[in-house]
Amino acid sequence: MKSYKKTFALTAEFAILAAISMFFILPILWIIASALRPSGPLYTYANPLTLQTFFPVSITFDNFIHIFEHLQFGRALFNSLLVAGSTIVISVLICSMAGFGLAKFTFRGKNLFFIIVLITFMVPFESIVIPLFVLIRRLKIDNTYFALILPAAGNGLAIFLFRQFFSEVPTEILEAARIDGASWTRIYRKIILPLSIPAIVTVIVMVFMFQWNSLFWPLIATHSSRFEVVQVAIASHRATEDTSWANLFSSAIAGSMPPIFLFLFLQKYFVRGISGTGLKG
Amino acid sequence: MFRSNKAGWFFILPAFVFLGLFKIVPIGVSVLESLRQTTYSGRSYFVGFENYVYLFFDDPAFWDSFWITLFYSLIVNPVIIIVALAMALLLNENHFFTKFFRTVFFLPTAISFAVVSVIWSVVLDPYYGLANSFLTLFGLPAQPFFASTAQALGCLVFLNVWRSAGYWMMYFIAGLQNIPDTLYQAADIDGASAWKKTWKITLPLLSRTFSFVLVANTAFNFLTFAPVYIITKGGPRGSTNLLMYESYKSAFVNLDMGRASAITTILLGIILVFSLFELKWTKAGFEY
Repeated sequence: MKSYKKTFALTAEFAILAAISMFFILPILWIIASALRPSGPLYTYANPLTLQTFFPVSITFDNFIHIFEHLQFGRALFNSLLVAGSTIVISVLICSMAGFGLAKFTFRGKNLFFIIVLITFMVPFESIVIPLFVLIRRLKIDNTYFALILPAAGNGLAIFLFRQFFSEVPTEILEAARIDGASWTRIYRKIILPLSIPAIVTVIVMVFMFQWNSLFWPLIATHSSRFEVVQVAIASHRATEDTSWANLFSSAIAGSMPPIFLFLFLQKYFVRGISGTGLKG
Repeated sequence: MFRSNKAGWFFILPAFVFLGLFKIVPIGVSVLESLRQTTYSGRSYFVGFENYVYLFFDDPAFWDSFWITLFYSLIVNPVIIIVALAMALLLNENHFFTKFFRTVFFLPTAISFAVVSVIWSVVLDPYYGLANSFLTLFGLPAQPFFASTAQALGCLVFLNVWRSAGYWMMYFIAGLQNIPDTLYQAADIDGASAWKKTWKITLPLLSRTFSFVLVANTAFNFLTFAPVYIITKGGPRGSTNLLMYESYKSAFVNLDMGRASAITTILLGIILVFSLFELKWTKAGFEY
C-alpha cells in the first residue's frame, strides 16, 4: 500500500516536471527546426501545430552558410572568442594572485582591498556601464578590443572563489617550501597554480559565459563593425526594419553553440561556481 | 597566514588596479557626471544638482519609467524566487529523472539574454507565434503579448523568469544539499508531515541562501536591458520603458550624459537601499 502511494507521488512529480520542461524545450526546438528549414516564410509551420512544427522535413544548412558568407558572422564569432579568451587569461592570472594574497597573507591595507572586492560584488556590471563608457572615452580606448576586454578582467566573484580554494591548501606545505628557499612567485607558480586547476576551470567557465553573452557593454563601448561581437550581431538582425528571420535564428543558434556545449560538458563547474563561493545554507 | 606587506601587495596589486580603475572609479564618475552637463559641441560644465532637480520636478518621462521599473521589480523578483525555490524542492531528492530536469531548467543560463529575447519575441508573436498556436489549440483566444500595453510588461516578467529561475534554482539546490539529513530523520521519528518538514526545517535553514539570492536577483533585475532593447524599445507607449533603457536612450540617443548619469546614480542608490532593506528583512524573518 505504501509503495503504491509512493509510486503515485513520484509519477505526479514527474508529470509536473515534464510539463514545466515543455516551456523550455518546445521554443528551442521550434527555433532550431525553423533555422534548418529552407528560408521561406518562417511561420509556415507554426499554426496549426503539427509534428512538422518542431521537426523539419527537408533539412538545409543554407541559412547558416548565408550568415557566414554574407553577414560576416564568422568575424563576430572570432571577435567574441578573442575577447573572451583574452579576458580569461588576464582574469585567471590576476584573480588567482589576489585570491592567494587574501588567503595566505596578512598585510596593511588588506581590509581596504577586501571592501573593494565586496563593493564590486554589490554593484553589478550593468549598473556602471554608462560611467564606464565616459571613463574609457577619456582613456581613449573606446572602440578597441581593450575596451571590451579590460573592464571585465577584474572579477570579485573569481577572487572569492580562489581565496576559498587556497585557504584549504595547508600552510605547512608553503612553510616547508619557504624553508627550502623558494620565492613567493615560485611557490605561486609551482605549488598554488597546479593545485588550483578545478578553481581555474570554474573561473574560465564563469568569465567565458559573462563575456560571450554580454550585449549592453559591447553595444556601447564599440561602434565599428570590426569589433562587433556575437550578441551585438544577433541583436542587429532583430533591430533592422525588415527582420530576416532566417538570419536571426541561424545567428542566434550558431552564437549559442559554444556556451551550450561548454555548459553540457562542464556542468559541474557551473555548479561549483555557485556552491563554491562559501555560500552555505 | 604569513605576515608580509610586500608579498601581500605584490599578489593583490594587479587585481587592485583593475577593480579600482574599472569598478570603483566608474561609480565616482557616475556621481560626478551627474553633476555636469554636456553641450552638443562636447563641452561639459558643472551644474550642481540641476540634473536631479530637473528629473524630480520637470521630467514626467523619468517618473513614468521609475514607476514602471519599481512595479516590474516588485513582481519579477518574488515570481523568480518562488519558481526557483519550487523547482529546487521538486529536484532536491535523487530520482532517475532528477539530473535530466535539472539540466533542462538550468539550460537557459547558458543562453544569452539577447538570444532569449529573440526566442520569445517570435514565440510570443501576436500573429504567427507558437504561443498563440497553443492557445488556439486549447480553444483559447489569441493574445497580443508584446504588442499590448497591458501585457508587454507581463511578458517581460515571464521572459526573465524563464531565463533566470533555473540559475537561482541551482543556488537553492546547493543550499538544500547542505541541510543535514539527521534533522529530517529526527522529524520522521516525531511523525512530522512532509509539509511541516518543509516549513519548519527546510525553509528556515535555507535563509542564508534565500537572502543572497534575493539581494543578487533584485540588483540584477533592476538592470534589465537586453529584452527591452531587442524586443520592445520601451513600448508599446512606454509600458516597458525600464530605467536602464531610459538611461541608455538619454546617453546615446539624446546625447544627454548628465541626465543619463543622474539616472544611473539613482539606480545605484535604489539597488543599495533595496539590498540593505532585504538583508535586514531576511535576517529578521528567518533567523531561528
